[in-house]
Amino acid sequence: MQRSSIAFFWITAFLSVVFVAIQFVRPELDNPPVTADLQAPPQVKQILRTSCYNCHSNETRLSWFDEPVPAYWMVARDVREAREHLNFSKIGKLPAGQQRAALFESVSQIELGAMPLPAYKRVHPESEITPEQLAVLKKYLSLATPSEATGAPEASAADLQYEKWMQTGSSTPEVAAAPNGIAFMPDYKNWRAISSTERFDNHTMREILGNDVAVKAIAENHINPWPDGTSFAKVAWYQQPDDKGVVRTGAFFQVEFMVRDSKKYAGTLGWGWARWRGADLQPYGKDKNFTSECVGCHNPLRNTNYVFTEPIRGQQ
Amino acid sequence: MKPATKALYVLCIFFALSMLGCSSDGPKVSAEINHSASLAGELVEALPRNPLQWKVITSEINQTDSTMSTMYGNDVAVECARTHSQHDYPAGAVLSLVTWTQWEDPRWFGARIPANVKSVEFVAIRTGPDGRPWYSYEKYEGTPLKKLSNQEGLNPNERAADLLSQRAAVMP
Ligand code: HEC
Ligand code: HEC
Repeated sequence: MQRSSIAFFWITAFLSVVFVAIQFVRPELDNPPVTADLQAPPQVKQILRTSCYNCHSNETRLSWFDEPVPAYWMVARDVREAREHLNFSKIGKLPAGQQRAALFESVSQIELGAMPLPAYKRVHPESEITPEQLAVLKKYLSLATPSEATGAPEASAADLQYEKWMQTGSSTPEVAAAPNGIAFMPDYKNWRAISSTERFDNHTMREILGNDVAVKAIAENHINPWPDGTSFAKVAWYQQPDDKGVVRTGAFFQVEFMVRDSKKYAGTLGWGWARWRGADLQPYGKDKNFTSECVGCHNPLRNTNYVFTEPIRGQQ
Repeated sequence: MKPATKALYVLCIFFALSMLGCSSDGPKVSAEINHSASLAGELVEALPRNPLQWKVITSEINQTDSTMSTMYGNDVAVECARTHSQHDYPAGAVLSLVTWTQWEDPRWFGARIPANVKSVEFVAIRTGPDGRPWYSYEKYEGTPLKKLSNQEGLNPNERAADLLSQRAAVMP
């Protein structure tokens, strides 16, 4: 044998041994019992089963080519993470509104090309959601959404909130900081509006406001990435139809912020996240990890610096 | 190619393949200004003021017309709207309602966002000749925006009265 063939033999042999050896390093990936499976029409369920259940349920079925390490390592990690974010085998335990919100979010993640995970789609082309399937999901959700918000405060409660605010209006109450240390910014209400949204998934309406840095960035078209110092506030109210059928801002629901600092907040997509709920402005989140929720949903927008809003121009 | 090199290549390709999980496709959106809904350039040349430079008072949605509006005010108006539940606007106050047609948010299933500017309305309060408040109402429509109607008097017209009666959205 030539010397190079001998080298080839030994290298291949070595790799084979390594390959076989690492097969024994297998993080556990079992299927815990299905406790509260998603309730949906069979057509809808079938789509999610085919495309999502391998990661987002307790009914994971790996293909033969997912089994060998290191592919297995990646799949196991994805499944563990996916189940933490959204588990269709347990979703039935959540209140109806939260279940619906998860499905609306699912449709958006599919439309943005974020789900199923692109790498997974490449090796499992059958998991790709077709436009027809997407239409089925959207139609189901549109019909399954009640015409009125559940849990929205009564008009009288909104009135009370308004009267109270009229009295305290200009004096800002003491507000606790968000669990990640971001302080409340009472001046948000004086920022400029850069867009608004009507949300028919949860019957709220929102104004998106931007500080001076944001407004300048819009005027100069420097919005990708947004400059450090940019801050957005998104204010949400419950919808409250009046007697002429016009929907007005009802009770204040929450205000949330994104604060751009590419260095300080490098760990959370370059943005600081914070949210305060209710007219008494209770900080949202048990601990500083609440931001993983924000990051998870904004993450597919990496082409727009993680910002959903397409800003309107004219503030300057 | 020497077999040893070949083996190395195989190794590299193998690892490259297993790294697929780390690369990711870009989503199907790009960072852009919402030009059609903007109040800028030629569109607004006829406007006396650009309400987008003002603060927000409240907003509304007309589901029959599929439009959405935001009400803005100059500083005098905003100060009054946020502290007086009677919103008895003093002279110098100007309100403006900008109305947009809507479309579905391409980035979020479940949301509608401004599409095109449909109209811009102004209600201004001045001190009239005899010291009483004097109300003027103006409405602009079209591309570019052109003044469609203009009414003034000791009493606000019906539309102006409606706008003046809207209470501010709670912003604690
Ligand atoms: C290969 C595994 C995999 C598949 C298949 C998959 N997902 Fe995911 N999904 C993940 C992982 C991992 C996360 C958490 C990290 C992230 O957001 O990238 C996630 C997160 C999510 C989230 C939550 C995002 C957040 O954190 O707020 C939604 C919603 C979602 N997936 C929907 C779907 C839907 C719908 C499908 C099927 C069309 C699907 N996924 C298929 C792995 C997967
Ligand atoms: C389930 C998805 C989802 C989650 C979770 C989420 N957001 Fe958003 N966010 C959106 C959408 C969609 C928009 C676009 C405006 C709208 O439709 O209300 C948005 C817009 C925003 C904006 C306005 C700037 C922009 O990106 O358009 C801010 C500020 C914001 N979110 C803050 C937060 C914070 C803080 C959190 C976490 C506490 C959070 N978001 C969690 C979906 C989400």
